[in-house]
Amino acid sequence: MNPVLPDSGAANTPIFEAIGLKKDFDDGQVEALRGVDFRISAGEFVAVTGPSGCGKTTLLQMLGGLDQPTGGTLRYRGKSLADLPDLSAYRAREIGFVFQAFHLLPSFTSFENVQIPMFETNRPRSQRADRALELLRAVGLEHRVHHLPAKLSGGERQRVAIARSLANGPSVLLADEPTGNLDSASAGLVLDLIVRFHKERQMTLVLVTHDMAIARRASRALVMKDGQVVDTFAQT
Amino acid sequence: MTFFNVVVRGLMRRRVRTGLTLVGISIGIAAVVALVGISRGFERSWEIGLKARGTDIVVSNMSTSLTPKPFSASVRDRIAQLPHVSATSALFVELMSIEDSEMMILSAREWNAFVWENLKLVSGRMPSDAAEPAVVLGQTAAEVLQKRVGDPLQIEATEVSVVGIVRGGALVEDGSIILSLSLFQEITGNQGKINVIDVRVAPSTSEEEVKALCDQIHNVAPEVRAVAVSQHLSSSQGYRMVRAMSWGTSLLAVLVGVLGVMNTMLMTVFERTHEICVLLAIGWKRSRIVRMVLWESALLGFIGGLAGVLIGAAAVKVLQTTPAIRGLLEPDLSIGLLAIAVVIAVCVGVVSGLYPAWYSSRLTPGAVLRG
Repeated sequence: MNPVLPDSGAANTPIFEAIGLKKDFDDGQVEALRGVDFRISAGEFVAVTGPSGCGKTTLLQMLGGLDQPTGGTLRYRGKSLADLPDLSAYRAREIGFVFQAFHLLPSFTSFENVQIPMFETNRPRSQRADRALELLRAVGLEHRVHHLPAKLSGGERQRVAIARSLANGPSVLLADEPTGNLDSASAGLVLDLIVRFHKERQMTLVLVTHDMAIARRASRALVMKDGQVVDTFAQT
Repeated sequence: MTFFNVVVRGLMRRRVRTGLTLVGISIGIAAVVALVGISRGFERSWEIGLKARGTDIVVSNMSTSLTPKPFSASVRDRIAQLPHVSATSALFVELMSIEDSEMMILSAREWNAFVWENLKLVSGRMPSDAAEPAVVLGQTAAEVLQKRVGDPLQIEATEVSVVGIVRGGALVEDGSIILSLSLFQEITGNQGKINVIDVRVAPSTSEEEVKALCDQIHNVAPEVRAVAVSQHLSSSQGYRMVRAMSWGTSLLAVLVGVLGVMNTMLMTVFERTHEICVLLAIGWKRSRIVRMVLWESALLGFIGGLAGVLIGAAAVKVLQTTPAIRGLLEPDLSIGLLAIAVVIAVCVGVVSGLYPAWYSSRLTPGAVLRG
């Protein structure tokens, strides 16, 4: 990987643009982000890497509209996220989340977990069911459709979570250490799936990882330390 | 899967807790059905009884007790002179403990007055005259007292004979011990006293004229109040107090139900903070989270309400067979009352869910999911 400028290129319209992004916790006692600047183009695969506590997850949550910055600007397709009238609609339609801890709803089957984000769309019930089946088939879990998360392996749970993240056809997939809780075989399978969906569906993929081997699969990596982007690498 | 499935699943997660909450609500609603049903039934039974006797106006002094205060029998003569009055009958109605029965209605009636006309003999005979130490029992009263024709009956210190069993055309009549007014006055030492005058008006008398007559009665006999049959019991201060107590006790029970549902919903929301944050993270609107919590609590109220209505109705049916109540009243278990009880239960659910719903809508997913 070679160091490049944070700007991914003038030719591409940035899907995300962060200018001096800051996030404090505990009334300013903890500075999770300390003036972060970057641009991410539509369709790009960007890895965010760095040691624990450097602000990777906080940054990802900002991109996903789960948290508000305390300073700076974060734009999505040129519009400040702070000015969006309905952040939940942004999360429902534009963003797909994959978490390290899967975060599946324990009392719902795989099939039902995948349908849950679709309540915020106008899809009729039968279409929601068809879509969920199609996505579970796409992640290779058609035989685990009616299983509760507790009856699934870690890798299977993460695949259900990936299917759920794709339910509303998002433009952006945000993955927070998606392989962090998995054995190496499952981790490889999950990562391959995420990368495959990114390519097939031309989604922007922002993946947080502390594993440099995974970061190397991205087209670009933002290296963070102490709440700042200290380096950026692009794959040659 | 529908949104309703999500709501039901939320309640099914903790079945024991949901079950206990349902028990709490259903007891509250059962109290509403039983207490209000009994008080309304009492009112209705009394009204039907008066109508069965062919009474149009009741003259009495309904103060704070359930039975009217005694007054001079001479009042009847003053009222009998008034226009539109076709007949009058003096009575002494009392609730008394008779032998093993805790509370029976004693209906002492002026001999040969129209209030005897509605009584149909089932067995035995009517008393031969006003002085005969004899009573007739309504059918239910006979069952409650376990008396047959020819049996003795103890009223205070006097023993009288049961000479007949009658049917009166109303539950109150069937549940009464009926005897002549003069005999009752002698037994109870209330000579010259009555506490009710039943007035029958001429057939052509209009409602306005009945109202005017009531006012006239009050003018000639200020110590009593005259009211048309339909308003008789509801105008009683004592009965109003009973009704208020029924509602008051019921609402207290309902309040306990509210606290139960609120506690359950708050626990549910606290336990599901993480889950709610996941739902927010994957795009659910805060309004949908609020709806989910409110639907869950409303559903708890609805199911608790239905169970409460069934329990309340069953409890009333059981109470009706007890000697203390049997024959006194027919509880009102009308569809209207049962529907009101279920509506109250749903409102209890929704109101109890308001704070938990508001709390859940304020959660910020970022902080929780960051761990």
